Amino acid sequence: MDRLRRMLFWVIVGVTALFLLLPTLIIVPMSFTTTTTLEFPPVGFTLDWYGKVIGAADWQSALINSLVVAVAAAALATVVGTAAALALHAHRFPGKTVVMGLLLSPMVTPVIVLAVGMYMVFSGWGLVATRLGLVLAHTVLAIPFVVVSVLASAGMVNPSLAPASLGLGASRWFTFRRVTLPLIMPGVLSGAVFAFITSWDEVVIALFLADAQTRTVPIMIWNQVRTNLDPATAAVAAILILLSALGVLLSYKFRDARP
Amino acid sequence: MNVSAQDGGAPASARAPWPFRVPSAFWLIAPAVLFLVLFFVFPLLKLVAISLPDGSVEYYEQIFTTPVFLRVIGETFRVSLIVTVVTVAVAYPYAYAMAHGGRAALLILTVALLIPFWVSLLLRSFSWIVLLQNSGLINDFLIATGLIEKPVRLIRTPFGVMIGMVHILLPYAVLPLYTVMKKIDLRLMEASSICGASWFKGFMRIYFPLSMPGVAASAILAFTLALGFYITPALLGSPRDMMIAQMIAGQFNEQLNFGLGAALAVVLMVLTAIAVGLFGAARAVLQSRGRSKGGV
Repeated sequence: MDRLRRMLFWVIVGVTALFLLLPTLIIVPMSFTTTTTLEFPPVGFTLDWYGKVIGAADWQSALINSLVVAVAAAALATVVGTAAALALHAHRFPGKTVVMGLLLSPMVTPVIVLAVGMYMVFSGWGLVATRLGLVLAHTVLAIPFVVVSVLASAGMVNPSLAPASLGLGASRWFTFRRVTLPLIMPGVLSGAVFAFITSWDEVVIALFLADAQTRTVPIMIWNQVRTNLDPATAAVAAILILLSALGVLLSYKFRDARP
Repeated sequence: MNVSAQDGGAPASARAPWPFRVPSAFWLIAPAVLFLVLFFVFPLLKLVAISLPDGSVEYYEQIFTTPVFLRVIGETFRVSLIVTVVTVAVAYPYAYAMAHGGRAALLILTVALLIPFWVSLLLRSFSWIVLLQNSGLINDFLIATGLIEKPVRLIRTPFGVMIGMVHILLPYAVLPLYTVMKKIDLRLMEASSICGASWFKGFMRIYFPLSMPGVAASAILAFTLALGFYITPALLGSPRDMMIAQMIAGQFNEQLNFGLGAALAVVLMVLTAIAVGLFGAARAVLQSRGRSKGGV
């Protein structure tokens, strides 16, 4: 009875793990199929779909848009979010809980609500169909991730180091550059990676803010999936998964790095 | 005009009686706050303003009296609720195995949990389309095992939407459960069995109540996220089983009825805020019991 229960338990857990992994695992093999429809298991082996995607002008411009927007949004979110996280970590001030709530609330706001709200406001400001509009919108989404990541990292730093540096006569800026920043670097970098991936994967806001010139890779995928499912989409997906995997490895490397 | 009003608001609070060293905290935090006020809070307020033209609540009246809107809101609740129950039920044994199954199990299960977590929602919905289509792997498997004779329609059904949603929500549900479960002392279960209780009785009377804060936290988190789903229902569902997020998008993209769309967005925002409030309360209970920091 006990044995049976134990076995049943592990079967359920195993099936759940398979359920979690299955959709990710089938994408990459499907991109190698020689058929023109998506097949799993794939038939034959070809890299043509990759060539087709990499050679297509619209995918290239989408890729450039995605990279520019994600790098800019990650940079902006990292600078602004790190500064805010340091203040939240090091200081007590009135309204701190409110500020904290504000900084984290983009994480729990339904993206569709943000998308339509930004669409209405940004169209008045001439930001719709511009890369800048996308950068600003994605920065909003990314700030909470940077704040959380830097706060976690700052929490592990010995709190007497910065006062010691100041006490020894170093300026505030010198203390920040040479003491605080190196110590929180793992959190800053993993926050930056999070921010990049947030923008890189974002589709709902981009659907509202981007046009044919500024559309990003997720928009291209969205259009493909809605119209015709072909192995080229799987090839793009495989490239994106590879990039995400690299990002994750980087972020864990940063997080585990001991200053 | 609105921009300058927002600009004027922030520095005024700096003149409040701040303690020593605070000016530097103010300058550190001001850019982030200003940025979010301009590009996050202001768009949300703008939606509220658009939904109340000249202070009239006509759009809200329309939403709460027209059957089609009530049906979509009801459908959103129904799908979110079912998905939440299924997600937590599936997440529970998984988190249990992570918490008490030993180091190797923890490693493998964590990797299996985090890989999909890092693959974008769009790609996973795309993958489910391929898996669930008539010539897809799931139908092939069911036919091969003789369970069915010809392909069953899985895609463009509420079932397809729910599969996709459970898959996306599962990591969010497992993590709070795991945080709570790893702090539960299994010797309590041993003690109950020494005292003669059956495994089932011990589980129901001891383990399950102790894991309750995790169940509450993960259920509310899953429900909150489920309410706002857009991509997955749009790709895996049929227009008939529309959820509120799709309806909002439709009002802006197709109907071009911005006032009504904004009112629907405000309704979704309020529903989400209520769910988040419940999540906060659940976490507070969880922390006051001193078990964990919880959350994701």
